Amino acid sequence: MHLTRRDFLELAIVTGAYLTANPVTALAKMDYEDIMRFKPLGNVTLIFTTDIHAHLEPLYFAEPINLVAPKKLKGKPGYITGKDFLRYYRIKPGSLEAYFTSCVDFPKLALKFGKMGGAEYITTIVKTVIEERGRDKVLVMDGGDTWTTTAIGTFTEGKSVVDWMVYTGYDLFVAHWDYTFGKEIFLQRIKELEKGGCEFITHNVVDELWGDLVFKPYTIKEVGGAKLGIIGSSFPFTPLANPRQFVEGWSFGIREDQLQEFVNELREKHKVDAVVFLTHNGLPLDLKIAEVVKGIDVIISGHTHDVTPRAVKVGKTLVLIAGSHGKFVGRIDLHVDKGGIKDYRFKLYPVASNLIPPDKGARKIVERYRREVAKKYRLDDELATAEVMLYKRDTFFSTWDWLVGEAINDYYGGDLDVVTSPGYRWGTTVLPGQKITRNHVYDYTAITYPEVYVLKRKGKDLLTVWEDVADNVFNPDPFYQQGGDMSRLWNVEYEIEINGPQYNRIRKVLIGGKPLQENKEYLIAVYGGPPPPEEAILPDYKPVPVYDILIEYLKKRKSVRVRTKPNVKVLDATYKTYEECYGG
Amino acid sequence: MISRRDLLKTASAGALALLMAPALIGSSFSRDMTLEEALKEHLGATLSDLTQSDKVRIKAPTIAESGANVPVQISADVPVEEVEALYIFADANFNPWVTTVELSPMNGEVFFATRIKLAKTSVVRAIIKMKDGTLLATSKEIKVTVGGCG
Repeated sequence: MHLTRRDFLELAIVTGAYLTANPVTALAKMDYEDIMRFKPLGNVTLIFTTDIHAHLEPLYFAEPINLVAPKKLKGKPGYITGKDFLRYYRIKPGSLEAYFTSCVDFPKLALKFGKMGGAEYITTIVKTVIEERGRDKVLVMDGGDTWTTTAIGTFTEGKSVVDWMVYTGYDLFVAHWDYTFGKEIFLQRIKELEKGGCEFITHNVVDELWGDLVFKPYTIKEVGGAKLGIIGSSFPFTPLANPRQFVEGWSFGIREDQLQEFVNELREKHKVDAVVFLTHNGLPLDLKIAEVVKGIDVIISGHTHDVTPRAVKVGKTLVLIAGSHGKFVGRIDLHVDKGGIKDYRFKLYPVASNLIPPDKGARKIVERYRREVAKKYRLDDELATAEVMLYKRDTFFSTWDWLVGEAINDYYGGDLDVVTSPGYRWGTTVLPGQKITRNHVYDYTAITYPEVYVLKRKGKDLLTVWEDVADNVFNPDPFYQQGGDMSRLWNVEYEIEINGPQYNRIRKVLIGGKPLQENKEYLIAVYGGPPPPEEAILPDYKPVPVYDILIEYLKKRKSVRVRTKPNVKVLDATYKTYEECYGG
Repeated sequence: MISRRDLLKTASAGALALLMAPALIGSSFSRDMTLEEALKEHLGATLSDLTQSDKVRIKAPTIAESGANVPVQISADVPVEEVEALYIFADANFNPWVTTVELSPMNGEVFFATRIKLAKTSVVRAIIKMKDGTLLATSKEIKVTVGGCG
């Protein structure tokens, strides 16, 4: 059980659930069998996860309040949240499914249904499906962002996750953040995966100088008597979004022309019955791929953390994505014969950790690494209590990011004008009233380049960067987006016109309450992006890992209440507030 | 991206006469001009003289990994015998003219791969000058992100 005992007892008494064997089952009106219910179809089953972000243990993770879209993409999957999401997919508010897929009433439902995800529960689902279908009918795949961004992932250099993947029986893998261990460790882990029977496929990484493929672009698998061609795609903008040094000499990109050539090759030369595209491209980008590249049957997307309870159909192509943080395991059954895909059935299994029996072998692997890392990094130390919900996901603002801004400014003596970091989509959620542990801090910040740098930047240069990022988020053409959220800017307020002209969307910028001056030099702290040139780092301010700063700050604060009011006003789109989703 | 094969193909095109913009060959000579001025200087044409054609193709990244070194491939589905030259322009560069490639039947096909410099996000244009004077053109936006300390 992951509910706190007191909360849980109250709920259980009110609902009468305490009389039953599994109280969460009573509250959810659902048990393990309900979760697993699926009428098998055809001869092929694809099981997939993505963007687990090394969350081998269950967690709370709230879906975003907002996914603000440029006009052209509004209302499309990838840009639907909250109540709209529940309406769009006809999900009953207050249900377990609603808890997993929308932000509505998250703190309340979290007490009812408990934590989500967790390696040992994912493994149970995967193995159950394999057992039901037979190994020869099933392919298990993961869409990347799997090895890092938690303590257990990052501080074991991804080894904990790779061991679990091999144990669980993954067949295929693509990557993004996983590259940030650097080439040597990355290639070592790939080797370990391959030894365990899991192939790494990526068509869109080539040698920078010669253009030769670095990895196997696709693989061909006999599954359930059908011949499947599966092409892989790693995150196309890895050297831009993350420090280039990790992938020096490799060039990425969308490479849609090359993708078309591989699709044709699989169909014409290898005579496959169906083509699957496993990606870390992001849902909006993959929806466009489905339009412009001909001959792909199924796209299994990743990167943008979207949840698609129903397959998105673009022409003849099915596009699917299984959320993030281990919250879902996707399953699509296909009837494939020489004529292609005849029929399909699709489901996202919610990884409700209180309803699914753990897989003992997977638990053992996780516990072994957990013990090691928890001891060394004192993961269970309680640092402070959260008075509001601490969350990360949103287009512009989050309580967590504001807290980080306060902490960094405090660390550097209150001198800073701006604290900024990229709008990552990963992290965790700390419920109101919950203790913030060191583990939580690492869940938000455990990356391989955690240093905070302090620099001076002119007002106009800051604005140029922010406009640039805004175009990477709000460009109406997904091929020109990078799939993240807007930069997080502490001590800055601004207005934005999402559909405004490229590089001219941001208005009325205030820094510390005063209008931004183009030629004034501001003292800024940055972390989480490609590192600034060494000569730009001010010698008086030593670079320090962001998690160390946070741990010290939280200890000092003890009780954490940060603003819930966004620092951004959106001029031409709806922008919902904390209260509308998470309550007052 | 230029594959090794493509690079060799380009290199072996013996009859290929190449003129490169100063930015590309690293000369210090440069003069700010608009796209219209550059088109006039090199083609004696204006934007409205260009015929947009899906026979001309640009293969290039949507977001460049580095503005200093952007791989660009131009090809066109027209008989090379009918082509006089291939031009590349980048609207937002200080001097938008990037290169002129004179083609001859010995090239076999209309194909050219190179790396160009982009000062900032720009529309990149490929223009094929046919022997009959027609200017077939296509364009693609390539973003150069400042990134880094965002």
